[in-house]
Amino acid sequence: MTALRLLLVDDDVLVRSGLRVILESEPDLTVVGDAGSGREALAVAADTDPDVVLMDVRMPDMDGIAATAELVARDPQRPRVLVLTTFEDDDYLFRSLQAGASGFALERSDPDSLVGAIRVVARGTSLVLPDLTRRLIASHAPSRARGPAALPELTGREADVLRLVAGGLSNAEIATELFLSRETVKTHVSSVLLKLGARDRTQAVIAAYESGFMTG
Amino acid sequence: MRRARADHPAVPTGFPRVGEADGAPEGESPGATVGQDRAVPPTSSLHWATGFAARLRALLVAARPGWRGRALYALASLPLGALFLALYLGLIGSVVAVVYGVGVLLVLLVLAVTRSLAEMERRLARRLLGVDIPAGERVRDRRGVARRLRRLVFAADTWRALGWLGARVLLALATTTTLVFGLAAFVALGWEVEWNPLTALPLLALMALDVVLTLAVVDLLVRLSASVAPRLLGTAPEQRIAALQQSTRRLADRNRLARDLHDTIGHALTASLLQATAARRTLTPVGERPLQADFARQALGHIETNTRTALAELDRVLTVLRAEDGGRDPAPFAAPSLDDLEDLLAGLRDGGLPVALVVDGDVDDVPAGVQELAYRVVQEGTTNVLRHAGTPLTVAQVVRNGDTLVVRVCNEPPASQPDGRPGPGGGRGLAGLRERATAAGGTLTAERTPSGGFDLCVTLPLSGAA
Repeated sequence: MTALRLLLVDDDVLVRSGLRVILESEPDLTVVGDAGSGREALAVAADTDPDVVLMDVRMPDMDGIAATAELVARDPQRPRVLVLTTFEDDDYLFRSLQAGASGFALERSDPDSLVGAIRVVARGTSLVLPDLTRRLIASHAPSRARGPAALPELTGREADVLRLVAGGLSNAEIATELFLSRETVKTHVSSVLLKLGARDRTQAVIAAYESGFMTG
Repeated sequence: MRRARADHPAVPTGFPRVGEADGAPEGESPGATVGQDRAVPPTSSLHWATGFAARLRALLVAARPGWRGRALYALASLPLGALFLALYLGLIGSVVAVVYGVGVLLVLLVLAVTRSLAEMERRLARRLLGVDIPAGERVRDRRGVARRLRRLVFAADTWRALGWLGARVLLALATTTTLVFGLAAFVALGWEVEWNPLTALPLLALMALDVVLTLAVVDLLVRLSASVAPRLLGTAPEQRIAALQQSTRRLADRNRLARDLHDTIGHALTASLLQATAARRTLTPVGERPLQADFARQALGHIETNTRTALAELDRVLTVLRAEDGGRDPAPFAAPSLDDLEDLLAGLRDGGLPVALVVDGDVDDVPAGVQELAYRVVQEGTTNVLRHAGTPLTVAQVVRNGDTLVVRVCNEPPASQPDGRPGPGGGRGLAGLRERATAAGGTLTAERTPSGGFDLCVTLPLSGAA
């Protein structure tokens, strides 16, 4: 298994150097570059082709939200963006998820959780920090529908799967919950993402809340 | 409907009291019938009256919740009307006395009393009429006698309150007139007219009509008060706008404070945390990996600097909070003004910084926005001195020069040269200040002086400023 290629983006060199030491000590992670601003991140990302970008939100010279949006616009599949944040309830945080980030991690989380979050984002088989993410999306997503609404394009099974995805369950957990095989769940999730035009689970959850399919 | 129901038993005892005093000999008067509230003997001549009373009672119960408060209000309006009339006479008297000098004080006194009475009226209306009247503007919270007096005279509140008291005088007059006429008619019907079995019924009906009409008119007057009171006693539009602006500003201040905390302390702690974590890793032997003592040493140095900066920032934010929550102003986050500088510097002096404040020129009419910015300049400048140079002699200067305001903070060189390296995150405050100064059309310079001190100077235009 090849090591995951990481790009660190933060305007504070101390944060970057600290993260670099922490992450490089993991055998399956390698830091291929770092950048001090959103604009620099775009250039470095083009050169180094990282799998996951660890992105600070507030930076001079293009913030993390704009940089994330630009990265996603370039290629919706690679790299995935993991937003690093100091605080959980942050309006910027939701906006960076909206811009296309796959998840977020708290800067204060212990190294193992941080590394775990990076792996989850790279795999894409479940949400990072499911409860926090759901709460953040639920409280910030402007629901266009008034009440619980169905997403008509989804089959009943797919709707069930989406509900569990939004609940933060991983594919394996959904398989157990719905008595399906993992492969079937994977197929359903791909189909849901396709129908919602979402590039990953986080985006699917945002779509679920914004459409009114999920509430509260 | 619970209130209406609760009122119901009170109707018979309260309502026909006037009638009881005068019409008591007629044991079977409608009032008494209602009062007994028991089975009426089926006397045919009284049948109609009973029906009428029952209907009247139903009307009272259904349409008059809270009538007791209104009755009290009507009664209270008689002495109060007299009081307010006296106040008016006092005002006229003191205006006349202005000619003799002392009148000015008297006028101010009367206006102050007017405001207090308006507050009492507000409470009375709230309590008895159930009208929701927001409190008026507070003059007492302003600092300085001159400002308070100016506010007292020029506040729309004061004059509207005076208008209300005048309205109350008129309403009280109307109430008195109504009651007097009602009573006179009642007495006339009871004593001046020949009663015999033929006229008794029509006379009783007339008396009842008189009572009902009188009460209806009084009630109408009270209702009129209730509808006018909020307009004259409530907040004026300009006050509402001011309150809105204030709460908006408070919110903006809060957000700015939150952002400051996020940017400075949150950031410094995060960087320290990551450095500490990294340092621990580099000192933990795992397999073949070499220990990196150099990195760890550097990391500890960074942590030290960061923590120091974070503490300085915490101090600064707390100073802001304390300065703005000094209990003088109802708004804990109200924008500080030049008047608050002395408090700010007093706090810094307590912290060991020998700092002097020099204010030159007339700065009273400097717009609030510029005053706040000037305050921030002094705040940032002085805390930077503490942060980077320790406790050297420092001077904060605010000079009004025609259409510009120059705010300057400069310090002597520090006694011992501390670590001059600005910590990460340091200097963010100055950058923010520069942004704000530029936005206000001003300029900011910050430079080391030849002698080794530091000079922060912000020039702000006063015309066309926010």
